[in-house]
Amino acid sequence: MSAATATADPVEAHPGRTARRPARARARRANLTGWGFVAPATAVVLGLSAFPAVWAFILSLQDWNGFGTAEPVGLENYSAMVSDAELHAAVTHTVVYTALFVPASVLLGLLLAVLLNRRIVLIGVYRTLIFLPFVASAAATGILTTYLFNPQFGLVNNVLRVVGLPQQGWLEDPAQAMVVITLMSLWGQAAFTTVIYLAALQDIPAELTEAARIDGANRWQAFWHVTFPQLAPVTVFVAIWQTISAIQLFDLVYTTTRGGPLKATETIVYYLWSAAFKDLELGYASAVAYGLFAVTLLITIAVTLYSRRTKVGAF
Amino acid sequence: MPIPHRRRAAFGTLTLLAAATTLAACTSSPQGATTLDTEADVTLTWWTGQADAAQTILEGLAQEFEDEHPNVTIDISSGAPSTEDLLQKLSASFAGGTYPDVSYAFGSWASELADSGRTLDLTEQVADPEVGWEEFSGAARQTAQPTGDVTIGFPAVVDNLSLIYNTTVFDAAGVDYPTEDWTWEDFREAAKQLTDPSTNTYGYAYSVSGTEETTWQFWPHLWQRGGEILSDDGTTATFNSEAGVEALTFLRDMAVEDKSVYLDQTDTKFTQLFASDRIGMVTSGPWTLYDLGVAGTSYGVVQLPGVDGVHTTVSGPDLWVLFDHEDVNRAYWSYELIRWLTDAEQDVRWNVEYGNLPLRAAEIDTPEFAAQVEAMPGLDVMAANGVNATEPRPTVAGYVKVSEAVGTAISQVLQGQGEPQEALDTAAAQATAELADQ
Repeated sequence: MSAATATADPVEAHPGRTARRPARARARRANLTGWGFVAPATAVVLGLSAFPAVWAFILSLQDWNGFGTAEPVGLENYSAMVSDAELHAAVTHTVVYTALFVPASVLLGLLLAVLLNRRIVLIGVYRTLIFLPFVASAAATGILTTYLFNPQFGLVNNVLRVVGLPQQGWLEDPAQAMVVITLMSLWGQAAFTTVIYLAALQDIPAELTEAARIDGANRWQAFWHVTFPQLAPVTVFVAIWQTISAIQLFDLVYTTTRGGPLKATETIVYYLWSAAFKDLELGYASAVAYGLFAVTLLITIAVTLYSRRTKVGAF
Repeated sequence: MPIPHRRRAAFGTLTLLAAATTLAACTSSPQGATTLDTEADVTLTWWTGQADAAQTILEGLAQEFEDEHPNVTIDISSGAPSTEDLLQKLSASFAGGTYPDVSYAFGSWASELADSGRTLDLTEQVADPEVGWEEFSGAARQTAQPTGDVTIGFPAVVDNLSLIYNTTVFDAAGVDYPTEDWTWEDFREAAKQLTDPSTNTYGYAYSVSGTEETTWQFWPHLWQRGGEILSDDGTTATFNSEAGVEALTFLRDMAVEDKSVYLDQTDTKFTQLFASDRIGMVTSGPWTLYDLGVAGTSYGVVQLPGVDGVHTTVSGPDLWVLFDHEDVNRAYWSYELIRWLTDAEQDVRWNVEYGNLPLRAAEIDTPEFAAQVEAMPGLDVMAANGVNATEPRPTVAGYVKVSEAVGTAISQVLQGQGEPQEALDTAAAQATAELADQ
């Protein structure tokens, strides 16, 4: 095909004769060129996203340990999820984490953005400092967490000891571990919501607030009735974004507690990772992954529809 | 420089073609040799699962083998960022058809690998008296023959658990050092005396991560009391017997009542704390001695405490697994390479040189081993402790799930949640169900 195309247009070397070239051949050549450009990217996307996704779906209908022969089991993996107590516990942990993390990161982001959205000395330094933890990898954050919150030798308990408060188990106490993980991921992730809110705040014309102030609104009223409604689309966006990243929590758990103590911090993604790579139940783990995918998709669709109907316009 | 249009079109088509060929190449595999020709050129891929100094030693040996046999090229690499990741890597390489000729493998993977149908069977070759197969420890041989019918490789590294004590902590508390004749009651008493909450010092440390680290530390307690992990036919979990309950009760009493045990959630922290004189005793293997040497900790090594004079320990033999590429030349040279490597003459320059235990008992008398003991005191005690590794860990498929069920039960009980009998019964029921699933 390429040879035919090439011989059909001896035009390139003689630009003056362009007009005589048949339009169909030109269109076909343009098409091919276009495909040539997108082919590498398409191959990457198909190879690294679509192909694994399809394969994972096929796996989810099989019983396979990664080595022996895979046995087709139909929807058995999916029905096993219904009665899997450990999975249900992992779902609960994930929901608890999401409920703690999402509102906190949105509020904290908003607060920090408002504080940083002013002209004061060294503002650039403050903004950089707030953003810095976001750049640190979750692995580094995790290792830092284990040092800070070690019950026997950690800094936090040392501080408590100095001020005379009782020692805490932190990451080794099943009741506190999830809270500590939430705190540490807030430390890293609040920067993200801050940056988004900061950008949104700077898009709001100053005249609006000024007008409200002239009309007699106090600062809080001006913020709550004028500025905040303008931030609604951004709020919807960061809430969805943070929810999706919260239900996919894995790295911080992996580097701190490995799902412990007593599986109190085992999230859905950690559970499916351990099902796949520790228990070698690749089929079941794929089914859990598809379950998680369905939930994420539903949340996104629901919120998108809602925001379209109410004209918040986040998407 | 802009590319002329015509060439661009051709370039685009070429890219598509290239992408298609690459995809096609993933599924095709070349036909292997069917008649043995030991002079033919072969290239072997060898995943060592090692890093740093260990990898350097093996690379040197591979080079030596290549020099001796010029028609053999060895493509040697770690295979994965950590030994644990090799399992994932092997699974992926089977799917892609690009698996190695030889790979390091943890003993606990043996059944799964044998199950893959991609391993060579060396049973006939290792029957040759020249190989000296009987010189490997029983546990190591059994792991290389996970199903009993096929031999999937050679023992690569052997180890066992011994009692390592920190002399600085013992001296500070004025407690006598452990001896060979210690019972677990002596052990418990010493741990209690070493523990000092005001300085955050603990007598003993136990992993409660719920992994195999948690589980295998428990097996000596079970075996010494006469218990068994599984029934003889390997279908029923029997670790919840009276012996198991007694063993777990003993550990629970130390952790919960005496509070003399540092409960480690991570598997790694207790070695560091031991090295910095915060923990008096750990039960661990040769790899710990290396870390202690680096940290400059003063320590001693003795066999595990016992029950009625029985000091059974647990051993975790790892393997060199050989894979089948339906090519007799590659199979021949893979076997020759690993047989050569695990020979006493080479093993003193690899395992002994690196600080692992010798694979074969005969190496204990070599000057190389004596030099290593000089550098890592206690290594000789650990090597001698090999005779106490009489019980193999189960090699049935599904051991990983048995291990997980037990690990969870132990972690719960040591952290004060649940009773030994109840927790072990639950774990046994779960393990039996998992075994039936296989």
